[in-house]
Amino acid sequence: MKQHLGRQSGVQSVDVSLIDGKVEIAPKKDGRIDPPQLLKAVYDSGVSVAEMEITAQGKVVRDSSGHLTLSVSPNQSFLISPNDLSKELEPLANNQATITIRGQLYKKSEGKKRTKPDTSAPLKLLILEIQRKE
Amino acid sequence: MNAKIALLLLLGLTVAPVSQAQIKHIEMRVEGMT
Repeated sequence: MKQHLGRQSGVQSVDVSLIDGKVEIAPKKDGRIDPPQLLKAVYDSGVSVAEMEITAQGKVVRDSSGHLTLSVSPNQSFLISPNDLSKELEPLANNQATITIRGQLYKKSEGKKRTKPDTSAPLKLLILEIQRKE
Repeated sequence: MNAKIALLLLLGLTVAPVSQAQIKHIEMRVEGMT
């Protein structure tokens, strides 16, 4: 799995902890990393992802449908799931402020055994922590 | 000439913050690993 993930675009390094089942991925500084592609790569290597969290820096942008998104690059953004923390981000929408957040991008459905992650729908970002607003 | 310099400065100001934005770290909890 480590080699499989290491071959994915934008991946700098992969650390796997067999004891607690954690996989940590460091993206390349100037590369574009694709979380849905990582979910698929893990599934293809024979294991399943229970949860995926990211730490990301970006701008809060309100899309054409009025939903909040975190834009991490000109062509990569994540739809933000509404929660108490996302409300704090609403005033920052489209005002060019850069924020750093920790959030959950994927969580496996309860009770299900190994299931292929649905990568056809965009992943929603559930904000867990707002680390910095600039 | 001054207009060109001003335009370059303006472009620099708008592009620089975007280039800082990125995914910094990804952590996954996986099941079925041996």
